[in-house]
Amino acid sequence: MSYLLYALLLSPLFALVVGFGLSNENEKGIFYVSFLSAIVNYGVLLIVSFLWFKGGFEPIFIQGPVLFHTGHADFAISFLIDGYSLSYLFTATFLTAIIIVFSKNYIHREKGYKRFFNNIKFFYLGLVLVLMSGNLETLFLGWEILGVTSFFLIGFYRDRYLPVKNALKVVSLYRVADISILLGIWLSHHYFGYSINFNDIEGIYSEHHHLLSDDIYFYLIPGLFLLAAMVKSAQFPFSSWLPRAMEGPTTSSSIFYGSLSAHIGVFLLIRIAPLWEGNYWFHFIIGGVGLMTVIVSSSIAKVQSSIKTQIAYSSLAQIGLMFIEVSFGLYGLAILHFVGNAMLRTHQLLISPSILSYKIHDQFFNFKKPQKQGYKTFYEKLKLTVYVLSIKEFNLDTFMYNYLWNPLKKMGKLIDRLSFRTTMTTFGTVFLIGLYGVYFKDLVPDLIKHYVSEMFALFSLILILKAFVNRESAIIAWSYLIISQLLLSLCFGYNEVFDFSQVHIFLSGILVSGIVGLLILNNLKNKGQTLDLNDFHGLVHDYPKHAFIFVIACLGISGFPITPTFIGEDLMLGHVHENQFILLAFLTVNLILDGLVVYRIYARLFLGLHKSDLHDFAYRSS
Amino acid sequence: MSDKNFIEQDVLKKLRHYLPAQATLKDFVHHNSLHSFQNKEFFDGIFSASKIFGFHVTFNVYNYRKLHKQGRIKKNILDRTIINSKGAHNLDSYLDKMLHKEYDHKYNPRVGQLRKHWKSRYKIDLDNLVQPILFRILASFLDQGIALWHFPFEEKGLLGAIKILEENSFSSFFNSKRTKELLHSEDLSIEKLLEILVGDSKYFENYLFDQQYGHKGWSGLMSVIEENPDTIFYKKNVQFKDLIILELLLEIDSLDKVLGKSWDPLAKGLSIKPVDYLSEVKHGELQEILQLWQEAFEWDYYDDVLAGVGFLAKTRKKESPKNVSFQAMFCVDDRECSYRRHLESIDNKCVTLGAPGFYGAAIYFKPFGGKFYDKNCPVAVTPTHIIKEVEIQQVRKHEIYHHNKTHSLLQGALSSFSIGLLAGLKMTIDLARPKMQADISNAFAHMDVNGKLLIENKGNNEIENGLPVGYQVHEMVDVVESLLVGIGLTDDFADIVYVVAHGSSSANNPHHGAHDCGACSGRPGAVNARVFSYMANHSTVRERLIERGVIIPEKTQFIGAMHDTASDDIAFYDEDILYKENLKAHKINVQNFESALDINAKERARRFASINIKKDLKKIRNEIKKRSVSYFEPRPELGHGTNALCHIGSREKIKGLFLDRRAFLQSYNWEKDPEGEVLAQVLGPLPGVCGGINLEYYFSRMDMEKMGAGTKLPHNVTGLIGVTNSSDGDIRTGLPLQMIENHDPVRLLMMIEHKPEVILKIIKASKSIYDWFDKGWIHLISISPEDNNLYLFEKGEFKLYVPENEVLKSDDINVIIEEGVEMKTNHILDATLENIPTIVYPN
Repeated sequence: MSYLLYALLLSPLFALVVGFGLSNENEKGIFYVSFLSAIVNYGVLLIVSFLWFKGGFEPIFIQGPVLFHTGHADFAISFLIDGYSLSYLFTATFLTAIIIVFSKNYIHREKGYKRFFNNIKFFYLGLVLVLMSGNLETLFLGWEILGVTSFFLIGFYRDRYLPVKNALKVVSLYRVADISILLGIWLSHHYFGYSINFNDIEGIYSEHHHLLSDDIYFYLIPGLFLLAAMVKSAQFPFSSWLPRAMEGPTTSSSIFYGSLSAHIGVFLLIRIAPLWEGNYWFHFIIGGVGLMTVIVSSSIAKVQSSIKTQIAYSSLAQIGLMFIEVSFGLYGLAILHFVGNAMLRTHQLLISPSILSYKIHDQFFNFKKPQKQGYKTFYEKLKLTVYVLSIKEFNLDTFMYNYLWNPLKKMGKLIDRLSFRTTMTTFGTVFLIGLYGVYFKDLVPDLIKHYVSEMFALFSLILILKAFVNRESAIIAWSYLIISQLLLSLCFGYNEVFDFSQVHIFLSGILVSGIVGLLILNNLKNKGQTLDLNDFHGLVHDYPKHAFIFVIACLGISGFPITPTFIGEDLMLGHVHENQFILLAFLTVNLILDGLVVYRIYARLFLGLHKSDLHDFAYRSS
Repeated sequence: MSDKNFIEQDVLKKLRHYLPAQATLKDFVHHNSLHSFQNKEFFDGIFSASKIFGFHVTFNVYNYRKLHKQGRIKKNILDRTIINSKGAHNLDSYLDKMLHKEYDHKYNPRVGQLRKHWKSRYKIDLDNLVQPILFRILASFLDQGIALWHFPFEEKGLLGAIKILEENSFSSFFNSKRTKELLHSEDLSIEKLLEILVGDSKYFENYLFDQQYGHKGWSGLMSVIEENPDTIFYKKNVQFKDLIILELLLEIDSLDKVLGKSWDPLAKGLSIKPVDYLSEVKHGELQEILQLWQEAFEWDYYDDVLAGVGFLAKTRKKESPKNVSFQAMFCVDDRECSYRRHLESIDNKCVTLGAPGFYGAAIYFKPFGGKFYDKNCPVAVTPTHIIKEVEIQQVRKHEIYHHNKTHSLLQGALSSFSIGLLAGLKMTIDLARPKMQADISNAFAHMDVNGKLLIENKGNNEIENGLPVGYQVHEMVDVVESLLVGIGLTDDFADIVYVVAHGSSSANNPHHGAHDCGACSGRPGAVNARVFSYMANHSTVRERLIERGVIIPEKTQFIGAMHDTASDDIAFYDEDILYKENLKAHKINVQNFESALDINAKERARRFASINIKKDLKKIRNEIKKRSVSYFEPRPELGHGTNALCHIGSREKIKGLFLDRRAFLQSYNWEKDPEGEVLAQVLGPLPGVCGGINLEYYFSRMDMEKMGAGTKLPHNVTGLIGVTNSSDGDIRTGLPLQMIENHDPVRLLMMIEHKPEVILKIIKASKSIYDWFDKGWIHLISISPEDNNLYLFEKGEFKLYVPENEVLKSDDINVIIEEGVEMKTNHILDATLENIPTIVYPN
């Protein structure tokens, strides 16, 4: 059985690796490899479901390898297959296969033919990982892949302004979801004292299971997962990213943002249901979120005048309904609803370009002028109010900017006075002193020992804020980022007596990625490129290899699961105590910003409009 | 400048002149994308446009150099181009510049220079703050039927409606109190708002150009709809001015919101001087070099063509065909060029002719049950009659997946559980077995194949909307006479004369109108073919025609037909009128039409990667048909891609010349028209129709992003009026990448078979026609029947043209077609290799 489950992961992974090796002109090869992997997975799924059926519908749990082991928490891979995951897996695999076949001719001769298929396969791989995950760590692994590939799929047309802008917007929000899952994992480690496996999650809150007794965890743990689900499923108030994600070719928009990606929150809630089911309030909260989404999204859907945004919002309203269904415990219904809605919206998006001739033709024969609207009575005025609000998308699009990024930017600007040189010498020295101190902890006076972690976390935060608001140079921002992460490692180092190897794991990825990134930036500078962050530079055209290596460095430094830093992040968090809320707050903001800074640097340097007039590029508004 | 720097009316007029003139997509009509520069000489015009608006109007130097290296621009042509325009003594110095000198390719257009100071001064990105909500409001206001809840009070105009909304709702589009007061102020005007925003009237015009060109798609569309309200079904009170006022208000609002009261008008303390964006552009050396390259690029191709044309002019004797099996009129359209060639090769006794596909019937068409009219004649022609469909047999089908109720909450949920679950099956079937469906635009559904038309106005003088319904006999006589005399078909009629219109079916294609008949305003032309056939078959009409010297024998019958250029299908109309013996012949002819389509499909298929052209003919034809009904196929056909030529003359003279579907073919018999009076008529619509198509392709190819619509894959249908990218994007105008990637951007070369002096006299008679040639937007060649030499029109006169290149010959053109290579990528270097050179073959 376990071989079968590994096959589900290996086949898209294999197709991805082969895909990297093919040239962009080899469209047939790219297509067949991708299609084959989807078909193989479909076959495997049939066998798996047969076995599941034979086993009397008992969930199948497979314990995979332990990637890292510490005293109370393991970082292990494990899989769980049950009816919910099978339904989702079937839908995902089916739709992916459909899209691959559809795209064979649709994407023909597009400059990014290969890039497109690779992203599709990578996305699918992440999705399978999430759906099969038997524990939170495995789920997180897949979750991160979804985030990164989304960035590339939304920003597929990387030399236009809007796709890049929206890719950044979406991925910034995703980062919030990622970190909240990470924190959720951390908290549950502390609370339960071990890593949660989804197969023994039932009844997890019963007395003897947990170490801590504070009621707050009863809310906080499911709350964090709910936040992640809300963001990824674009629930109120995070709804406005969904229509803005539809920037890539119609095919990828239709399957991911029309269906598979947008419904993942529903799956997450069902998967971790035992964590919140016992909590009376959560039924109300989840139902409430769903209801708000239903109300807001269906109003917005009503006034949308472009077909893709209309489908996005009407799909969202249905996902809101699914949240409500989940809150009533109707998981089967929610999954069925998901299957229907996913198929419906995918198909609607795929045929969306044909709506123009169809409806125009229809109007030609059946046009009736809509009824006039009144404005005299209170009810009519109320309706007009809803109309205006819906056109403005209830200000949801500016919401995140106004309430999250802007305050952070303002904070960053406050400390903008410090020059690069001062900052680097000050914090460089601080780091060296701190490093010395970590290895010789006895030298640190007792008085400050208790606050030293918080102090370094704060220093780290200051630097990352500076990186966040820096606009003059990518090299400076990148350097801030590295120092910030170094200081972060000290913060962990001071927090507890522990195995230095864990800090080293964390640092290994950061240092290697950081240095690689610096080398790339330096090389570009030597080639005469200006590297300010005020504008997009579109360097990917002239330096595709630089761009590729830099992406890898970015992923490494932001803790994407390709370097040990990923595991390190998880391990290090494990050493933060459950009562260190200030430290935790610093860390959270730090981790979120870290991703944002990295994506922003990459996007500004390599994506967007070119400076040179040698390539075609669109006006900014196009 | 006068005392008053800003006169609103004048500036608005200028703005609208320079904005794109593309109407809504349902009325897609090809036109010169740089029509506003057509008053200048071609290169002066396009380089001016480039400097002012930042368009790419030629390739860059490096691409030309690569084309030269690759052999697409040959050395002898390059040298000749330089010598002709710079003199032999400058050959070496120019060669050096063209081949080796480095030039600065910096993007620095005039437009946009002023408004960008908001960002540099206040670090504020005004476009980001204003455009998303502005586009949303515009799209909702213009929306024809996507939204379930329509924009209220649209009859009051954009601003009027917003005023009512602002007064009566508890929410607002604006943040600052000042803006709300401004909106309701009595003296609200562009000037007043600019006073606040910009401050100095010397800058006003430039500011508006920067602002409106920042989203030229939306601005152009508003301006076009104001001018031509019929381009939308759901009428709105559209005024371009409202858009500007709204945008200015939103700008003030955003500045107030972000900066509070602490901002000064843009012009205050501004270091740059107000310059007139539209003032004359001085072209530099780079432009000179690019012009030479582009000319060499064009002439390298033309010279091949002219070598072939010249060779045939000298060698081919004109014989009047004997025992003609049938005659078939086709549209001048370049896509019919190959169909005619194959038809002639299959039935060597048939004669094909070319004329603009509206066949003289300048009509509005009203289908059965229709609430509107379709204009079915060239854009420049005003319809004189209405043709009604009075009976149909087809029933229109519906597509439930497009029903907008699926977007409401409860019906959406019901849909998920019902048609949603079925959608998986539907998608699988659509992929495996594509077939015609309700939401696929079907050329044959424009008019019912078996429906009945009301063509004759039998004395009851029915008038609808000021136009007569149907033609009266004397009007029919004029139409028939004019067309037949034009194409030189006034005697030797065959028993059957087919009048073949064309249309195009395609799936998932908002730009389908661009594939239909350009001479029918982007619609299938079947109606016109039927109308013309009816007229020509009319016995009284024929009697009257005799008086005018056109004698149509009694047994001759005209039959309307339509060719679907995407699916390569053909349908014939009103076959029941055929006499018994004609019917017999017709049945054989239909076989020939079908066989010709088989080969035609194969010739087209060579450019389609998805089809292996070594396969069986019928299979290829079937694959071609499938493409036209596949949702996943963004290239159902390649439209006018590669169009480059227009031949006006007798078919005999260029039979046996392989032009690779690149020529518009108009039949014309100079012998019957020694003074050129008929030529004047025939030539009339061609520069507009063919030149418009050619230049739209030219510019969409040269700048795929700013003049073309970019790749169509991410397009998002907005308001049923156009396509945008993204949810917050501008309307994309021009042609999408998938239509122009195989296009070699060269200007149209028009070749007329007549004496140079007659042609000169004719074109000089009409300034608008003369300008097309004189200013170089179309090249003109005379194929003189007197001495069989070619004469090139240049600087106001015809000069002898002797082709440089050898004539290419081949014994079997079909082998050449089969062996034609397919482009590796759509970069011009690869794309141009797909075209087959001009070849003379025996026929």
